[in-house]
Amino acid sequence: MRRNQGCNPLEHEMARRRFLTSTVAGAAGIGLVDTHAQADQLKHQQKRILQVFLQGGVSQLESWDPKPGTVHGGPFQAIPTSVPGIHISELLPNIAQRMHLLSIVRSINIKINDHEQGRQFMEKGRRVGQFPYVGAVASKYLATPNSNLPGYVHVSSRGLSDVAGGAAFLGAKHGQLKLEGIKPPGNLSAPAGIDAVADASRDKLRLQFNQRFADRRSKAMTEAYDASYDQAAGLMERRAMFEGTASKKDLERYGTHDFGRYCLLARTLLENGAACVKVTHHGYDSHAENFNFHLEQLGEFDRPFCMLLDDLETRGMLESTLVVIYSEFGRTPKVNVRYGRDHWGTAWSIALGGCGIQPGAVIGSTNETGTEVADREVDASHLFHTYLQAVGLDSTAEHDLPGRSIPIGDPATESIQELLV
Amino acid sequence: MNADIADKNTIDRNLLDVTQSHQVAEFKHEIALTTLRVDPTDRFVAAGAEDPDVQLWELASSERRTLKGHKSWVRSIDFSADGNRMFTACWGGIVNVWDTSQSEPKPLRTIHAHKGAARFVRVSPDGQQLATCGNDLRVKVWNIGDGKIVHEFSGHERHVYGVSFHPDGTHLVSQDLMGGINVWDLQSGKHKQSIDGSVMTGYDKKFAADMGGSRDLQFKADGSQWASAGITKVTNSFAGVQDPIVVLFDWTTGKEIKQIKSDDNNVKGIAWGVRFHPDNFVITAVADRSGKGELWFYRPEEEKAFHTMKLPSAARGLDLLSDNLRVAVAHADGHARIYRMTAKRPADTTTPAKAAPETAK
Repeated sequence: MRRNQGCNPLEHEMARRRFLTSTVAGAAGIGLVDTHAQADQLKHQQKRILQVFLQGGVSQLESWDPKPGTVHGGPFQAIPTSVPGIHISELLPNIAQRMHLLSIVRSINIKINDHEQGRQFMEKGRRVGQFPYVGAVASKYLATPNSNLPGYVHVSSRGLSDVAGGAAFLGAKHGQLKLEGIKPPGNLSAPAGIDAVADASRDKLRLQFNQRFADRRSKAMTEAYDASYDQAAGLMERRAMFEGTASKKDLERYGTHDFGRYCLLARTLLENGAACVKVTHHGYDSHAENFNFHLEQLGEFDRPFCMLLDDLETRGMLESTLVVIYSEFGRTPKVNVRYGRDHWGTAWSIALGGCGIQPGAVIGSTNETGTEVADREVDASHLFHTYLQAVGLDSTAEHDLPGRSIPIGDPATESIQELLV
Repeated sequence: MNADIADKNTIDRNLLDVTQSHQVAEFKHEIALTTLRVDPTDRFVAAGAEDPDVQLWELASSERRTLKGHKSWVRSIDFSADGNRMFTACWGGIVNVWDTSQSEPKPLRTIHAHKGAARFVRVSPDGQQLATCGNDLRVKVWNIGDGKIVHEFSGHERHVYGVSFHPDGTHLVSQDLMGGINVWDLQSGKHKQSIDGSVMTGYDKKFAADMGGSRDLQFKADGSQWASAGITKVTNSFAGVQDPIVVLFDWTTGKEIKQIKSDDNNVKGIAWGVRFHPDNFVITAVADRSGKGELWFYRPEEEKAFHTMKLPSAARGLDLLSDNLRVAVAHADGHARIYRMTAKRPADTTTPAKAAPETAK
């Protein structure tokens, strides 16, 4: 006997439809796309998110909020950007030339100085509780139904523990698929001796077993199994995207180091329908030698990121791709005895641009020495609302779940309206 | 005589007793120091700090002048043999030339030496040229008289941290982040030799970043060896967990002669200063990750330090005064301190911002 889940799937779909402010995307959500014209339009309007996570906590003073010549300013200078009046650190010369594509939020105070808590807040927009990450929300509401890529993909050189892939109650299908660099997930290939005909027979048998299994269990349980299988099958068809498709010219532009290759893979994944791609660049937790490490790390980050930004723009994807460069927190203004800066969630910055974001803006400010937010204080919950609204989702609506409704964004806060187009 | 080349004739061995080293003076700045240099005539102690200014103290009177002319932290300082000219290199890539005889010195000349940080500056033994290196991967030689470039050497693939003239003035040695050491022939203007100093670098796997570089580089007076100070055995360099090290290299062969490391392996941090003492020992100034510092005294032929002196704050620079009885140390607590390597004398009482009278020069 099936458990009473309180409402039927159609109601869920209709509730989901309310989140989609794009008409076409809404139609896709209930499976109404049946013409080539609509499909093309959907493809053109598909919104997606690129997250670039600078793991460990990039220093705002060495990136988005430089204060040279002040007591905590550090040794680096600020340089002008393509937006008159906006200066960023000299460590980001390529981004400076593209500042007209991005904006900066300089007034973040999350009141958290712990890596894991800070990261969770920045991903979920909630300080506590089991809520889905931005990427999982994007997967659920932005992914096109015919995509054979997982909706939420994370490219990183090493793992970060994310319970259920950050999907929380949205289900395993929307949890992040973690890729260890550009390597494809393991076991994508069929076993030796299994040809296409034999594989099709296997799949038919699997589906029969699945049906019997599903008849005795809740839909949520079987969906997770099916989602995993479907994602794996989809990836098997797309295996080639992991296997050295980067051209020599691409590698010259992006660089041959890991992060350059990750950015190239991110481009491919976004082009192929991933709703959210997260790329992690490690190495910003600089409790010692902050300045030498930021020289090294931002030196590696700046150019490949800009090549990816350029490609999104020239391929017409930037207007439909929200780009966010963020960390779990910033770094202390005060320089410690090891030339380091420590954890600092009190007054720091992120940068973002692309879909739905007013370009070339600076939101908020810190005081002269960078120790406090001086104007327009926001936290991760405001950013969460802003990200989702930028890609056309109503973050003030609710996830409609069996037997309950849960606000998508923190109902106590709202988006940074002046940052939205 | 260049301050890098200690004069063995001036040492008074009757007084020298390293084991009784003690502080005899301190000069206070309000901000953590980054480097330090004593002029060859022992008139001045100059220090860079975590601000754009240069602090210039007169050793005898403790009088301080604050020199403004950089826009970034000063990383390296050197003096002319007579002490009347000072050369300062900063993270902004600028090298400034100063007249120390002026009451309020302004830069006599500003050299835009490097794109990115200028990490090191050294005066040639004949006093006519400057060698600099920096983040543009270049080693450069400048004519002091007109500020024009004489040589520009490329070959390092990562940031160049240290450079020094051989005492005979015919060659330069430079070292980069990855421990790549190059010898440059100043007569031919060409690269002469590559030397492996990779023991002085490490890749932090967890954070996927390199750390290393020469934090100080000095030749022995006879030119037979040079010493490079820095780090080794990177464990968690983002938290400052690595071993300080000084490596001695043989000039003739280019081979490593000796590694100087902590006796008890309890010190984790960076060696920021090294000096050859004419009494055949090497002095190393260390910053421990705890914020404390140490001076190590090693004889090259011995495995362990014959003396270790605890310092009240992390050391960020070291120099030897020309009497060879005193060393100056730049500290992270904003002080430049003078330590005398002798038994205490009645006059050796230290008061903040004042130097003890010194008559042994």
